[in-house]
This record gives sequence, C-alpha cells and structure tokens, in this order.
Amino acid sequence: MEIYKRILKEALDKGFQEAIVRVLESERTMTKIANSEPSVVQHWRSLDIGLYLVKDKRIFIAEVRGLDPSGTEYTLNQLFSIADKLRESELYAPLPEPGKPVEIGNLVDKNIDKYIEDPSSLAEEVINTAHEERIDYIAGMIDLKHEKEYIASSKGFEGMHEYTSMESYIRAFAGEEGSGQWSTCSTKLRRDKLAEMARIAARYAVDSKSRVDIEPGIYDLILSPMVFGNLLDYISYMASGFSILTGMSMFIKNKPGDKVASEKFTLIDNPHEPELPGSRGFDLEGVPTIRKPIIEKGILATILHNSKTAAKFSASTTGNAGWISPEPWNLIVEPGDYRLEELISEVKKGILINNNWYTRFQNYVEGEFSTITRDALFFIENGEIKTAVRKIRIADKLGNILRNIDGLTKERYDVKWWEISYPTRAPYILVRGVNTSKHTI
Amino acid sequence: MLDLVEYAVKLASDLGASYGEARYHGINGFTIYTRNGNVMGSGITSRRGIAVRVVVNGALGFAATPELTRDGVRKTVEKAVSLAKAVSQLMKKPLKQDDSRLGRARYSVVARKPFDSIPLDEKVNYMTGLWRNIQGSTKEARIPVLTVTYNEWTEEKIIVNSDGGYVESSIPRITMYYNMVVTSPAKGSLQRWEQLGGSGGLELLEKWRLHEKLPEEVGRYEEILFKALPPPTDPVDVIVGSEIVGLVVHESCGHPSEADRIMGREAAQAGKSFIKPGMQGSRIGNEYATVIDDPTIPGSYGFYLYDDEAVPARARYLYKEGVIYEHLQNRFTAPFYNTRSNGAARAMDYASEPIIRMANTYLKPGDMSFEELLESVKRGVYIKSYMEWNIDDERWSQRYVGLEAYMIENGELKGYVRNPVLEVTTKSFYSSIDGVDRNLEFYAGTCGKGEPSQGVPVWFGGPNVKLKNIRLRSTVG
Repeated sequence: MEIYKRILKEALDKGFQEAIVRVLESERTMTKIANSEPSVVQHWRSLDIGLYLVKDKRIFIAEVRGLDPSGTEYTLNQLFSIADKLRESELYAPLPEPGKPVEIGNLVDKNIDKYIEDPSSLAEEVINTAHEERIDYIAGMIDLKHEKEYIASSKGFEGMHEYTSMESYIRAFAGEEGSGQWSTCSTKLRRDKLAEMARIAARYAVDSKSRVDIEPGIYDLILSPMVFGNLLDYISYMASGFSILTGMSMFIKNKPGDKVASEKFTLIDNPHEPELPGSRGFDLEGVPTIRKPIIEKGILATILHNSKTAAKFSASTTGNAGWISPEPWNLIVEPGDYRLEELISEVKKGILINNNWYTRFQNYVEGEFSTITRDALFFIENGEIKTAVRKIRIADKLGNILRNIDGLTKERYDVKWWEISYPTRAPYILVRGVNTSKHTI
Repeated sequence: MLDLVEYAVKLASDLGASYGEARYHGINGFTIYTRNGNVMGSGITSRRGIAVRVVVNGALGFAATPELTRDGVRKTVEKAVSLAKAVSQLMKKPLKQDDSRLGRARYSVVARKPFDSIPLDEKVNYMTGLWRNIQGSTKEARIPVLTVTYNEWTEEKIIVNSDGGYVESSIPRITMYYNMVVTSPAKGSLQRWEQLGGSGGLELLEKWRLHEKLPEEVGRYEEILFKALPPPTDPVDVIVGSEIVGLVVHESCGHPSEADRIMGREAAQAGKSFIKPGMQGSRIGNEYATVIDDPTIPGSYGFYLYDDEAVPARARYLYKEGVIYEHLQNRFTAPFYNTRSNGAARAMDYASEPIIRMANTYLKPGDMSFEELLESVKRGVYIKSYMEWNIDDERWSQRYVGLEAYMIENGELKGYVRNPVLEVTTKSFYSSIDGVDRNLEFYAGTCGKGEPSQGVPVWFGGPNVKLKNIRLRSTVG
C-alpha cells in the first residue's frame, strides 16, 4: 500500500475521526550566484509528511520530515495521547465532500529534471546574458524543482499532484549606485524567460548608475510587477478568511460586493494556468480548485476560504485550503491597454519603481504600511523619465493604493522571489497621488 | 547517528572534496494556537536529517537528506560533490576556509522546568486565560482580536568536519507570539504584535508574566487611541526605548556587519551593506555607539556555544565606541579579512546551509537611571514600542513607527503621542546618541536571511537611548 494511504489507515485505526495525509516527494537544486559566480549549489531530495487530524472536534496538525515510517506512528501516538487534553477548535468544521480534481494539463517538464542534475550551463547563460550590458556583476539564484504530492483523506479523497518549476531572480550592479532586479517563474524550463530576466535587471542597473536625491512628498507612482507583486502578496493574504478572523486584514470591515479598489483593477486567483507553478487541480482538503476573482473591477469579489473559515463566514470553501489558513495559488492581474512608455507619458510628476522590500504594517486593519524601494527608480516629469533617483519609501494606506490605480500595461510578467510568495503575473501599474517618505537626518 | 555523520565526512574526502562537513540536525516542536480564548488547533513538528557541505575545486556544494541510512547519506554526499564539481568551472575565486581552532565538545541547555513538567491542559488554560484576563481592561474600546501562539521546541545537532571539528548539542526553547487589535468606531484602531522567546523550559512563562502584562497593555492602548496627540515635527530630543534600540542595532549594525553580506554573497537576497571591505576602523557614531553580539548569554533565544562549523562562540564587538570594529565571520569569509572565524555560522534546520547569522545583539548600556535620562530632556518624545519598521538593503535609511509614545516636558512624561515616526540614517542614529541608561532589556525575534530563507532565533536589545535634535514625522491618516 502506498505510504500515504497506509498512514491514513493508521490514523483512523488509532481513533482519529477525520484525517488528511499529505506526502510530498521532492527533488530540487538551487544555484546561488554572487559576484557573477556560483556561491553555492544546493540540492534537496526529501519526503515530507503532513497530517491533519481531528478527534472530537479537536484539530491537530503534524509536519514530519523523515523517511522512517515508525516516525509517523510515533507522531500519531503522541498526538492521540494528548487529544483529550486539548479543547474543541473554534475553527472546527467537518471535512468537505471531495470532488473530482480539475485536469489542468501537463505541469511536468522533463528538461527541468536534466538541469536538476547539472544546472551549471543555465547559471553560465544567465551570467553571460546579464553581462551583455555594461554591468559590473550579478547576484541571484536559479531554483529547479520536481515535486509529487499525494493526498488521501478520511472522506475518501485520493489525489496526486505532480509539477516541475523553474524560479529565478537576478540582481545586477553597475557603478557606484546602479542596480536592477527582476525575477521569473514557470512550470517549464524557459531559457527565454531567464534571458529576459537577466536583460531587464542589467538594463535597470545601467540606467540607474547616476542618481540624485529626491524630496519625499506625494507622487504618481509607476510600480513594476516586482513592486506590485509584493503588494499583491499582502492584498491576497488579507483576502483570506483566516487573516480576517485573526485581525490581520484591512478587509475586516468589508463584505464581497464592497468597492475596495479602482474599477481598472481585477485580481484573479487562477490555479489552472499551466505556465505558473502554483497551478493544481485540488486543494489540501481534496476540493477541486477554481479560477476566481479576488477583486473584480474594483469590487471585492471573493474571500478565500477552506472548509473551516467558510463555516465561520457562513460561506462555501473556495478550494484554497491550506488546512488552517486558506491561500491563493497563482495571482493574475488582468492587463490594461497601455505600453510602459504610454503609462510614463501619463505622469506629470512621479516615480517609476523597479523593486522594493521590507513591506511592514503599522496596522493591518487600517492597511497602514511602508515599504522601502531598492534598485532602480526614476523621476518622471511631464511624461518623460528625467533622472535616476535614490531610495525612498512608499508610506500610505494599502486601500489608497488600490483605489488610486489609474492605468496598467498590456504586457505582463511572471514574477516570484523573496518578497513575492505566490507565482504572480502582473503588469506595470500607475497609482496616482501616493505618499512617500525618507529619513529626516 | 554519529557514525552516519562521520561516514559522510569521510566519504566526501574519498570522493575528492578538499573540505567535508556533515551535520545531523533534529528539531522537535509542539505548538498551540489560540484566538479570543479559544483553541484553534495544535501541532507537532519533527524535522530530522543530515546536511552535507563540501568544497570541490574551490566550489561549495550543499545537499541534505531526511533519509537517515548509510545509503541515503551516500547519495547525498555524492550529489553535493558532483554538483560542486559541475559548477566549479564557473568559479573565478576558489573558496578556502580558515584554520580556526575547532571544538570537540558536547553541551546542552537544561530546562529548569522541562516541557513535560506541566500537563498540557494547564498550558491550554494558561493560553486561554490570557483572553479572560484582558476582559474589562478597556472602558470604551473593543478588543476584536487577541491571538496567542505558544511554541516549545528542542534542537539537537551533531556536527563533524574534515578539519577535526566535533560538537554535539541540545537546546530547548520556548517562544510565544501575540497579536491584539484595540478598536473604537470613533477613533479607529491600534494593533500590537510581539514575540517573546528564550532558551530553557517552562520557567520562561513565569518570567514573561503575560497575565499581568497584557491587561496593562490593553488599557494603555485604549488611552493612546483616545488621548494621543500628533508628535512635534520640529527637532526635539527623543528617548528611544530599548525595544526599538534592539531592533535598530540588529538592523543597522548586526546585519551590515555580516562579512558574507559585505562581500556580496547575499546581494540579491538579504541585500548588501553600507560597510565595504576595508572600512573596519571607520567611525560610524560617537562614544556611546558600542554594539555587541554575544551568542553565549545564558537563557538567550540566540544561545549557542559552538557554531555550525564547530567554531567556539564568543562575544563580538561590532561597533566599539563609535568605530566599526569587527564583522561577523564564518570560516569561508575570514580568509578574505586575514582573520579567523568568530563563530557566526548557523543553519535553521538540516535542510539549511550554515550562513553568517547574528545571535544576541545589543547596545552597551551606561550607568544612568531612566529618570536621569528623562530629566536631561527639556522637550522631547519617548518612544517605547513600535509596530511598523523597515530599512534599506544597504542598512542605511531606516524607519520605526512608535506605538506607545509620550511627550516629555521638563524631564517628565506628559501625554501620549500618536504614531511618531523616527526616520534616520545609520550614521545619524549612532552619532546622535546623547545618553544611555543602565536598563539593558532583550527582545526576541526570528531573523530571516539566505535562500531558501532561513529564520533563526535571536535576541536584540539595549538600554533606553537619548537622541539629540531629531525631527520626527507623523504617519498619514
């Protein structure tokens, strides 16, 4: 019997009334690059076991990394021995009826397996492509993965999800101050995307070599997919029922149907986009995944749910489990009709921002936050880029950013990196009248 | 387990690695999540495996496996060696490691009250009781959310390397997180998030006294919500509380002092550093600016006695009396500085590469009392705690938004100040210090770095610090 079915049987035999077993088999190689050479190449072959168990409405989660089957039995015994000492979970809801997983198509690219064995030529290609521009050096990484996930539940669900992925980001440096960063992701080995990423990062680095200071104030901002992708992370996190329940969401006061953004903005969670590595046919509760708008033409359309948060909201699961917290799978922003140059031409006084990090909230409920730019940024005046400028903070309310979106490009990019957790397809966006800040001394 | 670890190191040498290192790393943890006095769930984490690092032709290879058999370890070593060999053709500067004197030792932290010395239902009562305790702490404001997470875990390691290092260790830790929202329809809301943590056992719960702390905090936040006034925006003296000072020194001294970051190894991830090679000895602040990182503080969240390369830990003076003094080093960065490692290599778990990390970072306290520090301010602001913060990728421009803050007039705390923003550069912060008190306090955090990102336990702290002539900002809204 396959290991995941055997563990499920053990859990139910032990006396747990509901259970889900998730077995994740993974082979992965990551090449880290620094100073235009590999700093380390890392490899993982793993088999991780996740358990969701219920006894008398008490919920237990276990994460076991190890191939020793007795380890799982030990964990089950441990959990069962404490089962009566815990209390009924506030979040308890019966596991949902399983559905038939959605067929997405082939998410496996055998080429990825080849480069998991030896990624050196990819690293060389990325380094060389970036150096076609007059940069000094690059840093970054190429992450290649082949994963098989098996899920069995006490509701009779059995499913297998297999995919490969390529994720990469590169930061290029030129001169004293010039730097640019870009990222990419795919379920396929896409050399064209790696080359495009290296070129964009290098071009931003070269263009931002000489910078001047800029006074903080209110500006129109053009946010690259790297910056907006990071904000989308927070927006989609806040659209999760769990975040609303735990006071980590600016949507705490909203209901689906409320206007929360510019009508030009539509954000979709699409788990059926075969190019993006978050795609899958079923969620972690065995519910079929669906394509859904989170925000549609400015209206809050869907709160993301698993069966537990759905029960709390008297709603239905949206196929986004997460055993405890629902999560999106792939974030896709509907395109606009601008070219980037046209978007720039719409700006009288503004800044184009390549990248950001350290987005931190003063208050999630109010959406008050700041984030600090990194890499290239350019001052725009009367529809033209005038000069590269030095770092500044975006310091505003996330709700204001959403409401003030005034334009999006046709062209979109698939991005994912440190500050973008979910595979994201996003355009450049223009946001009007954003507050910025900077150190006072 | 030792035999498997030793086998990995020997096999690496047999396969042609000039350096081999293997680490058995096991983590067993237990978690309880609560919200508004209800248990949401509970969880167990068990991660055990062996990590292998090798140097082949000057290139570094890393591989990890949870398969704790001779066959599993063999495949892992072979993979690390073959991948390092493959990418070594791209190396321009082959890696080398220093000749640090390595430890051969066993040590463990003994919990005064082991995790199992209190029955689980008592732990649950402790957690859910926190919600009951804060009821009635506000007059008008509501508390829609209090989430509290409890996490106990033990970390066990066996480290062996081909240079003779051998260290076994076992460290139990406890951490708690809470998040609360205090709200009023008329005044909006305030949010407070805090992490507590230390090495040891359940005695830490007694020390943290959350049952007393949370009701006091809630009452104070209601007052801030209703009574606080905007901060002055003309230059004033600012007393920065130890919680913020700890974060400042972690972010603007600890991180930029990591030698791997200075050398560009984290440039695309955790960023670069304003400290460039050759800047040791440069002035960054005045005589008050002494920042120490010390892994050996008993009971600390970042406690260890040997790092993951088997190098003995010791206190490191990162900034000394205003001068950039010593960087955090591992055995691979030290040769570039003609020095030896100071024991800063740590890995989050078996699947993680040891990289340069802080442990317990703090600003050196002085001998004044807080009252004396306060008395020295004619007009100013005291910012005790924070919510939002960030710092740029070179660790220069930083921002902290105060949560609990007070006006100071003629040496006395007056009314509350709402959302003061301290936005300064690293040099301006360390150059503006005009006094420090003796109240050294530490705070717990989980510090992120690396790829895949690794979160490791740290403490950061310091005394209360007075800054001269600071222009504060106010947040929007």
